[in-house]
Amino acid sequence: MEAPPVTMMPVTGGTINMMEYLLQGSVLDHSLESLIHRLRGLCDNMEPETFLDHEMVFLLKGQQASPFVLRARRSMDRAGTPWHLRYLGQPEMGDKNRHALVRNCVDIATSENLTDFLMEMGFRMDHEFVTKGHLFRKGIMKIMVYKIFRILVPGNTDSTEALSLSYLVELSVVAPAGQDMVSDDMRNFAEQLKPLVHLEKIDPKRLM
Amino acid sequence: MGVTCVSQMPVAEGKSVQQTVELLTRKLEMLGAEKQGTFCVDCETYHTAASTLGSQGQAGKLMYVMHNSEYPLSCFALFENGPCLTADTNFDVLMVKLKGFFQSAKASKIETRGTRYQYCDFLVKVGTVTMGPSARGISVEVEYGPCVVASDCWSLLLEFLQSFLGSHTPAAPAVFGNKHDAVYGPADTMVQYMELFNKIRKQQQVPVAGIR
Repeated sequence: MEAPPVTMMPVTGGTINMMEYLLQGSVLDHSLESLIHRLRGLCDNMEPETFLDHEMVFLLKGQQASPFVLRARRSMDRAGTPWHLRYLGQPEMGDKNRHALVRNCVDIATSENLTDFLMEMGFRMDHEFVTKGHLFRKGIMKIMVYKIFRILVPGNTDSTEALSLSYLVELSVVAPAGQDMVSDDMRNFAEQLKPLVHLEKIDPKRLM
Repeated sequence: MGVTCVSQMPVAEGKSVQQTVELLTRKLEMLGAEKQGTFCVDCETYHTAASTLGSQGQAGKLMYVMHNSEYPLSCFALFENGPCLTADTNFDVLMVKLKGFFQSAKASKIETRGTRYQYCDFLVKVGTVTMGPSARGISVEVEYGPCVVASDCWSLLLEFLQSFLGSHTPAAPAVFGNKHDAVYGPADTMVQYMELFNKIRKQQQVPVAGIR
């Protein structure tokens, strides 16, 4: 008996565990145009989409060793869109053959009073940044090429400074748990972007 | 959503909750209202776990997570006298992840269920408020669809409420007071339900004698 297709699951969002599969890489500023050009050719045909987002990372400290992290993101160039609240779990360890970083992910669209609400819950903002870049899609894969900007004065998104002379490239898929062939598809797509950019599984723990 | 007033209907003298609900719905049907399905509004309470209190030095706060069948893909989270967040149903999944920091007080889950009636531009919902297996009271919600500014249509709403609630007509809800010309939204309705549920929780349980 096959499991019912995901679309038949109840729309209560209660029990489906979604996982984010992620591959990351970077390109220097001067290589951006050639990467965008290749992505435009490989990805789904659509109007070039750019974004300007402001993301704030909130922490809730308890008696547990590690604080609970939540990310609140809002669009700065599209007025009226909901805020995006995201929880990302610890990366799943184990399978060295798995080509992408896999972690539990919960995405929630919320109203604009998200930051006030999180403060009321006891969260405190740890850091914030602005991202500006391009968005591409290929089927369920999402490819983002963006630059991160440091905010010089807390709360003021007008005065920003680029963090580096490069663009971060992320290939991600959000899919229900257990669909490991997703990482194979991602690796095949990443192959097509070489040698412009090398997308790899980067474990955040090893960078700290 | 149009301007909405949520109030409590006291149980009629010598009658049960169910009989009072039937009296109300019969009055509505005689007025000419049409039955249009059912509704449900529920509320779960969470309180900050003891482990997070120490670092903040403040008394634990109560957080209410509510759902309204009128908005099946949404979830509302609010603090008393605090902000009300409107989110999608994945918020419930997030609360499961936050188990270590926010504990659910399972026993205090409260909900109201009943029938929806459409009468011209008014949508009336009469529900039985239950906590666990026991019926604790009656909720009456009236929405005036065409208007979204409370101060513009309160007198009309009041007149309609008087026509079927009679002497049990409520005063203007507290949420109207804060926003003179602001647009009314679903979050305001959820705040009214939260206040109603809290009031009912504090009331004595409806006496069992007289039912049946």
